Formats: sequence, C-alpha cells, structure tokens
Amino acid sequence: MKSLLDVSTQKSVKIVGISGGKGARRSLAQLGIGIGSVVKIKRNAPFAGPLLIENHGSSIAVGRGVAAKIMVEDI
Amino acid sequence: MKIALIGQPNSGKSTIFNAVAGYKSVTSNLPGTTVEYMESRVRLNGAVYDLVDFPGTYSLSSTNEAEAEVGKYLLSQKFDLIINIIDASQLGRSLPLTLELIDLGIPMIVALNMMDEASRKGIEIEVDALSELLNMPVQTTVASKNLGVRDLFVNAKHVIEEGKKSIPGSIPCQKDVEEIICELEYEIKQNFAPKVVYPSRFLAIKLLEDDEYYQSILSHQNGHMLSDKVRVLQNKLVQLRGKPQDSVLVLERHAMAMDIYGKVVKIGHPHSDWREKLDHIVMHRMGGYFILITILLSFFYIIFEFGALLEGYLLTGFENLQQSLSGVLDQNSIWFYLVQSIVWGISGGIAIVLPYLVPFLIGLTILEDAGYLPRVAFLMDSFMHRIGLHGTSIIPAVLGYGCNVPAVMATRILPSRRDKIIAAVISSMIPCSARSVVIFGLVAFYLGPFWAFAIYLFNIVVISLTGKVLSWLMPEVSPGMILEIPPYRWPSSRVIFRKTWFRIKEFIMVAWPILILGSVVLGMLEYFQLDKLINQGLSPLTALLGLPAVVGTTLIFGVLRKELALIMLTQALGTTQILTVLSTNQVLVFTIFITFYIPCVATMAVLSRELNRSWMILVVMITLILAILFSFMFRVFGHLIL
Ligand SMILES: Nc1nc2c(ncn2[C@@H]2O[C@H](COP(=O)(O)OP(=O)(O)O)[C@@H](O)[C@H]2O)c(=O)[nH]1
Ligand SMILES: [Mg+2]
Repeated sequence: MKSLLDVSTQKSVKIVGISGGKGARRSLAQLGIGIGSVVKIKRNAPFAGPLLIENHGSSIAVGRGVAAKIMVEDI
Repeated sequence: MKIALIGQPNSGKSTIFNAVAGYKSVTSNLPGTTVEYMESRVRLNGAVYDLVDFPGTYSLSSTNEAEAEVGKYLLSQKFDLIINIIDASQLGRSLPLTLELIDLGIPMIVALNMMDEASRKGIEIEVDALSELLNMPVQTTVASKNLGVRDLFVNAKHVIEEGKKSIPGSIPCQKDVEEIICELEYEIKQNFAPKVVYPSRFLAIKLLEDDEYYQSILSHQNGHMLSDKVRVLQNKLVQLRGKPQDSVLVLERHAMAMDIYGKVVKIGHPHSDWREKLDHIVMHRMGGYFILITILLSFFYIIFEFGALLEGYLLTGFENLQQSLSGVLDQNSIWFYLVQSIVWGISGGIAIVLPYLVPFLIGLTILEDAGYLPRVAFLMDSFMHRIGLHGTSIIPAVLGYGCNVPAVMATRILPSRRDKIIAAVISSMIPCSARSVVIFGLVAFYLGPFWAFAIYLFNIVVISLTGKVLSWLMPEVSPGMILEIPPYRWPSSRVIFRKTWFRIKEFIMVAWPILILGSVVLGMLEYFQLDKLINQGLSPLTALLGLPAVVGTTLIFGVLRKELALIMLTQALGTTQILTVLSTNQVLVFTIFITFYIPCVATMAVLSRELNRSWMILVVMITLILAILFSFMFRVFGHLIL
C-alpha cells in the first residue's frame, strides 16, 4: 500500500484509507475527500512543502504529515 | 424577522450582507475571516429584517470552534429564514451543507452566487431543476457586481410570508442508510422529544457522526441509554459502506450532493485559465519565494515612498500652524495648552497616521481579496512546521499586520487548541498597522527605509523564536495543514474602496478621537505639571533605555493605541523635528520598545476572550520583558550598527 506522498504529480489516485486522528479525517471529509474519492495530485515536491491536490475542481493544500496518512491506489 | 446568511467559506456571504446592509462585514478571499456574527437591521422592499452574516462553514459538525459555534447559534436563536449562499463554481462541494441545513426545519432559499465564475469555468447549471430537487427557490447572483441581490430578497420576502409551509422537506438518503437514520430518529422522538429543542432527524445524524457537541447535550439529558443504540447503528453503517464511522455520513452527503450535481450541471468549455498557469509560478518551490519577497518588498516601498512624501509636506504645514498659534495666544495660559494639544492630535492623525495607513490598508485589501494569503500559507508550511505549527497558522499572523484583534479571532480556524494558543500569542506580537505607522513615521522617515525593514525582519525572528519556545513547552503534534486554496480573484475597485474606507473609518471614528483626547490629557498634565510626576515614576525605565524622561508618559498612552505614542512623542518633545532632540539610536530604541511592548487594550481584551485571562496576562508580561530586553540591547549595541 502506498500513501499520497508516493504519488507523482499529475496522476489521479483513489483513496482507500485514512489513518490517524479523526480531526484530519473529518476536515478532509468536509472538503469531499474520503475513502473512495478520486483526487489528482497537482503538486508534490519531494522533501519540501505541502501537496496540492484537486478534488471536484477545487484545490486543497495538504501538509506532508496528513498526506502520509492517506492511503491510495492507482486507477 | 430574522434572516441567517449561511454558506461555505468564500462563497460571498459578506458581500451579499454588505450589499444590503452597507459595508459592515469584512470580506476577503480566504477562509475564516468572518469569525464574528455581524448583525444588521435592514429595510428591504418595505419590510424590516435582522440580517445575520455567519462565519463560513463547510458543515454543521463541530470540527473546529468556528463551525461548532454556527450550529449552536443557528439553533438557539429563532430564525425565520436561512439564505444558503453557494459558490456556483463549486456547486458539488457546497451542496452537502445545503443538505444539512434542510434538516433543521427552517424555511430556506438558495443564493447561487459567483455565476460569473461558474460560466468562466464552463459550468452550466439548470437552476429550475436544482430548485425542484431541493424543494426551495434558487436565485442566481453575482454579489460582487450587485446582480440578483435585489431579486434574492424579493424571494426571501415571499418565502417568509409563506411561513411554515415553505419549510423544505428532508431529502432522504439511500434506502439502507435512511433506515438507520430513521431508526435512531424514532428512538430520539420516543425518549427525548419534549426535552430536546433540536430537530430529531438532524440530531440523529449528528449522533451517528460521533459529534462531541451534540453527544454532550444528550448526555446531560441522561441520554446514556441512547449511546448503546447509536453504537449498534454506527457499526451497521460502517459495515454497509466500509468507511470509518466519523466520516461515513459526511461522505454519504457528499455522494448525494454529487448525485444532484450530476443531474443539474452541464460542463461546457472552460475559458482558458491563466490562473492555473499563474499558480505554477506563484506556488513554485523556488519561484514562489522569490515572488513572495518581491511582493513584500514592493508593498513596503510603495507605502514608504507615498507616506514619507506626504508626511514631509504635511508636517511642515502643521509646524507653521503651531508657530503662528504662539503668536495669537499667551504661551502660559491654559487655553494655549488646550488649543495646542488639539492641534497636535488633529495634525498627528492627518500628517503622520493617514499617509501610511491609507496605502497600507489598500495594499492589504488587495492581497487579501486577490487570494494570495492561502498561497503564502502553502509556501510557508515547512517553515511553520519548524516552529511547531503548520501553514494555516500563517493566515492569522498575516492578518495581524492589519490589526491584531481580527487576527486573534481568526485563530478559530485552527482545530487544535494548542495551535490556537500559539498562533494567538504570535499574532498579538505582529506589528499591526498602528505600530507600522510608528515604524514608518519615525524610523523609516528619520533613519531611512532600510532600518524600518530591519525592524520587521527582527520582529519575525523574535516571533519565530517565541513560537518555537511555546511549542517546545507544549509538545503536541500539530495535526497538519488542510486548507482550501481559493481561485485568484481580482478585487473590484468598489470592494477595495469600500473595505479600505471601512477600516479607515474605524481609525477616524474610534482611534482619532482617542488620539486627540490623549493629546489634550497630555497637554493638561503638562499645564498642571503632573507629567513630571509620571515621568519621574517611569524614569528608571527611560533611564535604562537611555531615553529622555519626557517620553515616559507617551509609553503609558501607547497601551491605548500604539499611534498615540508617536503623536504624543512629538508633543512631549515639543517639536516634529525629532532629530534635533533625539539621537538616531534613541529613535530606534523608542520604536523597538513601542513595537514589542504590551499589545493595545483592544488586543488584550480579545486575547482574554479567545484564550483566557491568564494567557492575556502572560502575553503582557512576556512582551514587556522582551521589549525592555531588546530596546536595552539596541541602546547598548545600537551605535555599533548605526
Ligand atoms: N467573481 C465574483 N466574486 C465574488 C462574487 N461574490 C463575492 N465575490 C468575491 O469573493 C470573495 C469572497 O467573498 P466574501 O463575501 O468575503 O465571502 P464570505 O467568506 O462568504 O463572507 C471576495 O473577494 C468577493 O469580492 C461574485 O458573485 N463573483
Ligand atoms: Mg465573510
């Protein structure tokens, strides 16, 4: 299983699990991101800075700590 | 008649509110700026309404403090109508909130705002079909251009007149999930109906979502017998959908929303989007910082050049006025002291404060409304992690450059209490526009812009260290950034004008009278020679800092409003030619002290409200100690660098 951190830019992936606290899970759910969502990685610069992902046309910045807890699979 | 304006962050609630209520609520292109409830009585189409602008919220769950408040407020007050404002270009993402609101059993209409954005994105919405599916009127608007707002309130009037008949019926979930909700709702109705004021369906859903706030209400009512039932039903839900219990219903609502979205939206051709391309540069991991620094530097220089030019002219003018005054009135009479101090107060506002404040606020408005700040949060995330926070905390900090009060309130967007505390303490140490006026009007004007810039940098270093120390004292893993990055929007000149005017009006109506009054009090103290007493009392401090004893009183008054310290400095010294009485080193020491010491009274009040009184007192102590430490440091070592 791989996390959002391992996905390269411009690829779309499907979320299969979000571990960690329920705070992050809920904040993400409110933006429409949860298990089953398909998100596109717009920016993932290794070592530096948060990821930028796209979901239903809106851009969301996700810190690397959060991204590490989002498990995804290729589609 | 009470109307609530509710919508997700950045959907244009405040813009609609301001369109009908006059500019009262601060708009901006970033989440979390309206944290207070603005209420205004408006007269529209012959009826009187109490209109309430709510903070933006993605849902009615208690994910963070700001969102929890919305639910409580909405249900504790009796509202006759909810106007749900939706960003049409984000329809799918916005509908889950609409679905939640429907369950509250309050008459509702939808304002489909930002229609211009939607059509630019090539999103075509069948408004009638949407209205049909939601069982409520839907009115399209472009609030920033004031289009459709009038019709929106005509609709509102009709709906209110219909009263209970216009309460929209709930939209059922898919059958399997719906059965679970109904089962719990039935249970609540059976056992708690007379005791809970909340609509039972809404409550059932919140309990299934594990929402702490609504759970706590029921447990007060001896709802323990319910919790077993809730657990059983939650497990069923988890099995049905294979998602964790805390987000399964939230995601279910999203699925329903996307279903509606699919039925009413046709995606056409988006117009070419230069904004995507712009983000490639602005958020680039190297270029982004280059642009950030360029923007900050040019921001700084424009304000300085513009302000210093005006300050120079105006000060000479008022200096002449002061001199001619001594020809008219007897220099030792109380009248002379009175008139002179009023002139100081007025001229200080015009010559020293406004030249910097106006361009500063215009610049800040553009940065806020263009949507740049969330990008700054993106760029600064790694840095903020180094001081134990994450990118989102930079937003209150940046707002602090305008005024610390809204900055401290904006820390409510942070879900963790610990992050909120650190961010609030940091925000109250940011040089606000009043302190900036002192930095610009004194240091930049007399010592040159380089020194002013150095003070800002020094402040950032100190703040970062403070953050680092605080997070070291409160070791807790910060949950990390989850922040929506809104599209760029060029703010209309109308919005810029009104927002700047709104903030300047605050200066003119609130701060300026205090400045004039402060000058008069100082004038009278001088006339009765009471200032000597105060100055003597403060002489250990002024002596320590190597400042003339007469500045003692100004330091006290600075706690009221930081600009006051500057204006009273010229008054206490008896001249605007500061450098004839103070050395450059003394100017620097004075400014450092003013920049760092005790936040003004308004900030102290908001700190005790948002955190608590002990934190407020702690901040006062820390800043006082830091101020004395740094200004002493500059006194001793200043000559080495000046
Ligand atoms: N293009 C466009 N921009 C709008 C419209 N309505 C509001 N805005 C802008 O969107 C931003 C957010 O508006 P605001 O009222 O602060 O949103 P709030 O967070 O819901 O209170 C501001 O920069 C407004 O000028 C609209 O209909 N079209
Ligand atoms: Mg607002």
